[in-house]
Amino acid sequence: MFRIALKGILGRKARLVLTSLAVILGTAFLSGTSVFSATLNRTFDNLFSDVFKNVDAYVRSSQVIEADFGQEERQRIPVSLVDTIKAVPGVSDAAPDIQAFARIIGSDGKPIGADGNGPPTFGGIYTKFKGALWTIQEGKAPLSGTEVAIDEASAKKGKLTVGSTVKIVAQTGSREFTLVGIASYGDVRSPGGATFALFDPTTAQEFLAKPGFVDDILITGDGSLSDTALAAAVTKALPTEIKAETLTGAEITKETQDQIGSALSFFGILLGVFSYIALGVGCFVIYNVFSISAAQRQRENALLRAIGASKKQISRAMLIEATVIGIFGSLVGLVAGIGLSKALSALLRALSIDIPSGGLVVTTSAIQQTLIVGLLVTLASAWFPARRAGRVPPLAAMRETAVEQIASSKKRTVGGLLTVGAGVAVVAAVTTGADTKWLGIGILLVFIGTIVLGPVIARPVALFLGRPAARFRGVTGSMARQNSARNPKRTARTASPVLIGVALVTAVTALAASIKGQIDDVFTQQFKGDYAVSTNNRGFGGLSPSLALDISKLPQVDKATGIGLVTAKLDDKGQYITTISPDSINGVWNIGLVDAKYSDLSASNIFVSQKKAESKGLTEGSVMNITFADGTTRPLTVSGIYEHNEIGDYIISKSLIADTTVVNFDIGVYIVTKPGSDGATVRATLENAVKKYGQGELLSKRQYIDKQSGNVNQLLGLIYGLLFLSVIIAIVGIIITLLLSVFERQRELGLLRAVGMTRSQVRTTVRWESVITSLLGAVLGIVLGIGLGWVIVFALRDQGLSSFSLPVGSTIFIVFASFVVGVLAAIYPAWRATKVDILSALNTN
Amino acid sequence: MSALGLNLNADTLLSMTSPSLAVAASTHNAKKIYGKDDSVVYALNDVSVDFYSGQFTAIMGPSGSGKSTLMHCIAGLDELTEGSAIIDGIDLSVMNDKALTELRREKIGFIFQSFNLVPTLTADENIRLPLLLGNKKGNEEWIQRVINTVHLQDRLSHRPSELSGGQQQRVAVARALASEPRIIFADEPTGNLDSTTGGEILSFMRMAVDELKQTIVMVTHDPVAASYADRIVFLADGKVAGEMLEPTAEKVLDRMKSLGN
Ligand SMILES: Nc1ncnc2c1ncn2[C@@H]1O[C@H](COP(=O)(O)OP(=O)(O)OP(=O)(O)O)[C@@H](O)[C@H]1O
Ligand SMILES: [Mg+2]
Repeated sequence: MFRIALKGILGRKARLVLTSLAVILGTAFLSGTSVFSATLNRTFDNLFSDVFKNVDAYVRSSQVIEADFGQEERQRIPVSLVDTIKAVPGVSDAAPDIQAFARIIGSDGKPIGADGNGPPTFGGIYTKFKGALWTIQEGKAPLSGTEVAIDEASAKKGKLTVGSTVKIVAQTGSREFTLVGIASYGDVRSPGGATFALFDPTTAQEFLAKPGFVDDILITGDGSLSDTALAAAVTKALPTEIKAETLTGAEITKETQDQIGSALSFFGILLGVFSYIALGVGCFVIYNVFSISAAQRQRENALLRAIGASKKQISRAMLIEATVIGIFGSLVGLVAGIGLSKALSALLRALSIDIPSGGLVVTTSAIQQTLIVGLLVTLASAWFPARRAGRVPPLAAMRETAVEQIASSKKRTVGGLLTVGAGVAVVAAVTTGADTKWLGIGILLVFIGTIVLGPVIARPVALFLGRPAARFRGVTGSMARQNSARNPKRTARTASPVLIGVALVTAVTALAASIKGQIDDVFTQQFKGDYAVSTNNRGFGGLSPSLALDISKLPQVDKATGIGLVTAKLDDKGQYITTISPDSINGVWNIGLVDAKYSDLSASNIFVSQKKAESKGLTEGSVMNITFADGTTRPLTVSGIYEHNEIGDYIISKSLIADTTVVNFDIGVYIVTKPGSDGATVRATLENAVKKYGQGELLSKRQYIDKQSGNVNQLLGLIYGLLFLSVIIAIVGIIITLLLSVFERQRELGLLRAVGMTRSQVRTTVRWESVITSLLGAVLGIVLGIGLGWVIVFALRDQGLSSFSLPVGSTIFIVFASFVVGVLAAIYPAWRATKVDILSALNTN
Repeated sequence: MSALGLNLNADTLLSMTSPSLAVAASTHNAKKIYGKDDSVVYALNDVSVDFYSGQFTAIMGPSGSGKSTLMHCIAGLDELTEGSAIIDGIDLSVMNDKALTELRREKIGFIFQSFNLVPTLTADENIRLPLLLGNKKGNEEWIQRVINTVHLQDRLSHRPSELSGGQQQRVAVARALASEPRIIFADEPTGNLDSTTGGEILSFMRMAVDELKQTIVMVTHDPVAASYADRIVFLADGKVAGEMLEPTAEKVLDRMKSLGN
């Protein structure tokens, strides 16, 4: 039987290629994404061990506030500690280090660096020091208050060369420097897309931080002590009143690696999830190919049965074939995946996110995972077709043409309907109060039920969708319509990947539309101003507080107010806290204060959102303790509760910050212009004011509101990109099925050509069959996707998502896109169909 | 009986020699060569033959003598290696695929041995297939007459899988006639049928020539089938090996024996 199986494989190379293709694609995405994540991890690990290789000990403040998403705000330490440390026996040298906000302005006047939540823009110290993190590649080190060195990637992007004047914005304002050097971090032009501006120690302190203060101190030992002993010696020498800690070189390396690692692992998980979705979609394609080839071999198998092969032998032959294809496909997929991960790196590089160079990391676990999953998936997909192949009656050998069973069993209909019904019931139960946890199960049941029902629905829906084709495309359209309905199981299996892809895309789009709709509503309601100045640096740097003051003094401006963020501990939990100016915000932002006025917010008060107040049991008069990054703690009395938490859950007054050494940035300035002032001049005046600071972007109210949706768009883009993997597999699935159908219908095509069907009519027929199949998947997918989107929005109602928006435009676009997909997928099969040789097609029996 | 036969015979002879009898299709020095060097096969070796309008011609010959090849080449399904094939005065060798396809659709009807029908189309759609492909309405009166002639009135909405083999061949005959082609080619149209059903189909073809004034060229092995024709062209080893007018089954059988079948 093994020999027969092997012959079966080799005898039909086309089928082998097509079946393998599905396995290859599925596993390629899997191996590609895991190799990519591993490579990314390893290269960053290497980068940091390289960067810190000469650092033996590391001193920093022990006072830190950790907020969500791994953000932390650490206090600074006095630079005077450098001398104290240098005097410690065993220390060879020590140098101050700063990692603060600084934004380089390119020669075209535009700030360098990605928008939104992109990589950070740093300012730091360059010193001649053995353990220095930076190396000057070109030019010289910055030595005076007018000199700066920047990273190579920023120099290139900003079209800046050694000798040119460069403007840099930092916490204390903006200044012009002469570019004297181009530096690299380890051997990387710019680590992970971050930008760097480097200054001499004194300039760095006063421009980036605070005179006399730095973020950390790098230490090299003279070799007489182990790193641990060195760190201990340094700790002992530090004055106790300064809260500082000493780490060994290995510790700081590890900590930095872990920080990057956890950020990357999120990315890795995301990639993994979507590559498994793609693999699941691939399952359908593999299953479909095996089913079709089992049907096409029905006569052959029947003949084998007639001459004495057992059911088991027939099934086993097919499973052996699946094993070979599984192993072969996964191996090719593994290799293709490695290529894919290279392409991904190249793509990121093209987006100028510089990934440290270094070889690809193909871990054994990635290899094992790809091969095992690939083989299992192939075997699982071939299982039912193989069983069915064994059950073929020997009599089928005598039958004229062997087609797949068309009759859709009652069992299937009943089972499918029950599953869908159960799913809908679960969802309905959740909407009327059951635990949201059940939603996932309900959705899954609906999906499974729909796919079970697929073959039952496929025929009527395909006939319905094919109606226009039949009507406007004459007999070719009508044949295409009949072809897509003639084998409902096959059509349903081909359409299922499209269905899943479209359902996910639609759901995500609906969710995004709802979020955007909500943002639009909320901001229109709450933001009463006409203009806003916004920054792209969330939580890291921002606008100077004096910008709001400057703007408020302009003659055309009625009011201008700045809103900022600080990181602080509230009752021992680190978080972002919004800072406002109570005296200027009134009439600019309406946050829905309940029984309170902005003026109720003094330096010793805090406002709390209704949501938090409810969950934490806070009322007006409750007292909370706030701890700032400088280590100071003070009690605050809740003096107001507000409804709309879009600007944050806790609000304090800027006058409170003024009492601390905490950095004070605005993330936005909001402006109300005087009535009757001319739009164009107002805009020009405001833009001038903003330009002086070199930071921030002036937006009209509409632009500002649109920009709030921008983040949603970014996320949407990422998810679309990842779902694209599944869409590709779905398209390949259509191509494979069409090709197999074309092979199967050789005789029919020969006959049609003989009685006068032109090549272009042949193409039309295949094309419309493809379009109908694709539309079948899309239409069902949209229905499911809208349902799914609605359910998700419903589940998020506690997160403040109150209304579901139907993405009408996007839905129409998806229908149109699936039409195009159908046309594209048909190109090759249609071409093959026209190549059918009439005579040999007529002669084959 | 024999007097009538003689009469017809004389009639036919007269019409053949008369210049008014038009040639529907012909080949001139047709050669079809397969393979090359040692394994070269002359499927057709210098065949010149005319097929006349309004006649039912049968092509006979031993297996491998080139009957199907000849038919395929005249019908525009295959190309000659040398020589020319002409239908309705048009030389096929100068036509491209599109023109040939249109020619087949408009001027030629086909009846194959099996697998004649498109399984997804109804009998009616199958009958009208060449017209539908050409986006033509056709002559409705004629189509109804054809359908009546082959007795398919009450089977029109059925799909091929719901028709018997004989009924399927009747649909094929109707399809070949529906577009009023210049000439109809049939390759062993009764090869898969029992003799009664086959006889039925042959009578329909005979009727199409006599009553509907059609032109039919039929490849067959069967002397009984050939006896329905007006004229038989014999092929052997890729060459014309004679003709027979007014054939009967016995005469054909004798002749076939002499050809070494
Ligand atoms: N594609 C081909 N390649 C090579 N030789 C071919 C090809 N097609 C036909 N032949 C050869 O040409 C010769 C004529 O074949 P053809 O099919 O015309 O015979 P036929 O008279 O129709 O026979 P039959 O009565 O068996 O159908 C045969 O010797 C055959 O082997
Ligand atoms: Mg033949």
